[in-house]
Amino acid sequence: MDTQLSRDLKRLFETRLNSAMKMYLETCTRCGNCLDSCHVGASIPEIKYTAVGRAEVIRKVFRRYFKMQGSFAPWLGEVLEFDDGTLERIYEAAYSCTGCRRCMVHCPFGIDTQQLMSIAKALLIGADKEPKLLSMLSDMSIAKGEGIEETKASYAEAITNLEADVLALWPTAAEAEGAFSRPMPLEAKGADLLYVGLAGAHSIVPAAAIMNAAKERWSLSFFEAVNFGAFVGDSRKMKAIAQRIIDEAIGLGVKEVAIVECGTAFRVMRHFMGKQPFKVIAFVELIDRYLSQGRITLDKSKITEKVTYHDPCQIARNGGVIEEPRRVLRALTEYFVELRPTKEENWCCGGGGGLVAMGEMEFRMKSSKVKAEQMRASKAAIITTACENCHSQLSDLNEHYALGMKVEFLSHLVAKALVRPGQSYRL
Amino acid sequence: MAAAAEAVSAATQAVAPAAAGTTTDAVTAASQVAHTGLALAFDKLEYSVMVPLVYLSLAFLLVALVVRIVKILNSPPPPYQLALYPARKRPWMAALGESLGMPQILKRSPALWVALLVFHLGFLLLILGHLDILGSINLVPPASRDMLGAGGVGLMVTLSAFYFMGRRFKGSYRQISIPSDYLLLLLLLFTFLLGDLISWGNSWTASGFVMTKQDFAKYFDGLAAFTFADPRAILHGSHYHMVVLHVVLAELIFLVLPFSKIMHAFLALPINAVRRRVWTHS
Ligand code: HEM
Ligand code: SF4
Ligand code: SF4
Repeated sequence: MDTQLSRDLKRLFETRLNSAMKMYLETCTRCGNCLDSCHVGASIPEIKYTAVGRAEVIRKVFRRYFKMQGSFAPWLGEVLEFDDGTLERIYEAAYSCTGCRRCMVHCPFGIDTQQLMSIAKALLIGADKEPKLLSMLSDMSIAKGEGIEETKASYAEAITNLEADVLALWPTAAEAEGAFSRPMPLEAKGADLLYVGLAGAHSIVPAAAIMNAAKERWSLSFFEAVNFGAFVGDSRKMKAIAQRIIDEAIGLGVKEVAIVECGTAFRVMRHFMGKQPFKVIAFVELIDRYLSQGRITLDKSKITEKVTYHDPCQIARNGGVIEEPRRVLRALTEYFVELRPTKEENWCCGGGGGLVAMGEMEFRMKSSKVKAEQMRASKAAIITTACENCHSQLSDLNEHYALGMKVEFLSHLVAKALVRPGQSYRL
Repeated sequence: MAAAAEAVSAATQAVAPAAAGTTTDAVTAASQVAHTGLALAFDKLEYSVMVPLVYLSLAFLLVALVVRIVKILNSPPPPYQLALYPARKRPWMAALGESLGMPQILKRSPALWVALLVFHLGFLLLILGHLDILGSINLVPPASRDMLGAGGVGLMVTLSAFYFMGRRFKGSYRQISIPSDYLLLLLLLFTFLLGDLISWGNSWTASGFVMTKQDFAKYFDGLAAFTFADPRAILHGSHYHMVVLHVVLAELIFLVLPFSKIMHAFLALPINAVRRRVWTHS
């Protein structure tokens, strides 16, 4: 390979060597405790699809360029030089990993394969071999931030067209007069909370009804929460995309930013962006709060079938929101059952890390066989989740494996079960 | 068997006058014959291994370890939180518990966990046992002729190391292993086996121990006092050369350790802490 490129890639690798990354690279004993942690490896039994198998691709490059043995005894660590073959292996490792970090739960040292794959993704960008679709989508998000003033009017119009749908779920806005008298307030000065949705109405309408029912002084963001920069492993773009929302929140002076049911967007905002003058919460945490404060009540008679819950990796084990959705579900139905395994041990849906956005249908279905089996074994009629990506992937799995389940957003079930004013709460 | 023992004891008595005043056996007598040529060169080589190289390799180990650990821990911190949830109440205690107890392995492969416990405990006891040879440390009564564990500690690490090696030839484990994994285990295994042979070889003669803990204490104390005396004068056993080989391999371990995956011993706590420390607002 062009030595200039290989020098550049080495330099790029070096920029990722923070203290945690160095430990992840140095510490693995190849004990194999993570061999069946990865849903991909568990569904397609090949070493390259196990956590340690993927991580070793990056370690082999590391040993070549950053360890003495790489020069005098390359065979010791089976090192890999930057060449087309290596870049292909790096691509395969990185874009078959959803970054779910289930393997990190099982490693005696807590090695974070997602972080090691972030080196892989950075190298692919450096070699101009990253999935171009993800880069393009990132750039579009950033451009939208720069041109936001021009698009505001058309966005406001589109939102107005959705007002009737919100009112169908909940008959009033949050307040009778003033900034919060619209079903979906935009740029509402004095708002306590900024809600960040996604492109589709399904990500805004039910949430709006719930917040209105709770009489929240909220405002709707102009942006979509989704962060393609995080998927493609470009930390500069990831930050730029999140920064648009931070600027908007600071401009409005809100106390909290609630992120739509989207795992990656939530984790980036809550854990990757440093301290902000507002709190970041996942929408499901907000529902849980409304319930515990008695600001909304739910009609438990709406759901009469077994319901299970899929913990989105970036919200649960990587984001810290584990018990809240369970409290919401118990308020929603008597028929809640856990998946097995569950919580931090739950199988990834198989759609994270940009895979759903990239299409990749055949691989997603093959690599998530264990997920489909887990869903089927739950014997539930409904599977709920709190992440857009998971929802898409679970729906695809449901169809592909003919599971005959209903796949639902938790927020949708909640919005449909809101006990209306004057309506008595039937147990 | 008895006849053989008698023959050895007879031989010992036969050379007794030649080694007047010191412990009497044939090897002592032989070692007092002036060496020339190749034998002299080997003497010098063995002396280098047993004295100067011990200092050099140990010093290298300490310096390299400190430099490497400081370099790793002093690198810029990760730009964002990498904790896993549910969060633990006391993250550092959780990390310590995980470093010492490896609950993840206990849960997923109990057999490996037992082997790891035996190995790591054995390794710690091995370090202690070697320190205990020094005259000033007395975990085992100074009058004992055996090292700590009387060969049992050696067995602990040897058997578990064999288990680790065997595992690496099976299925998926073979596929995730790299040459340095096997070589490191091989190096450890040979060192352990030689150690085992030394402790076993000590009781080969009818009169019992050839090199006792007290003899090794003299050698260790000489090292600690920087006398640069030739240990051959103290360690008379015919298996002295095995001791030398054992020491060579140990020195090799010291040299490669800071660059090997044994670094996990020192990084286990800080790396586990990364998994447990929550520092963004919750
Ligand atoms: C006294 C300090 C330690 C030393 C000298 C040491 C040394 C070793 C050695 C030589 C191996 C064998 C490697 C192999 O099988 O190829 C090993 C394995 C291992 N050690 Fe340690 N270690 C130490 C501390 C720790 C600690 C604190 C942990 C905590 C997590 C740990 C976890 C492991 C694990 C998980 C293996 C798996 C090995 C395998 O399956 O091959 N070790 N250690
Ligand atoms: S992070 Fe998830 S997808 Fe990636 S290797 Fe680990 S278990 Fe597999
Ligand atoms: S569990 Fe951890 S130490 Fe063991 S092979 Fe997997 S990544 Fe390496």
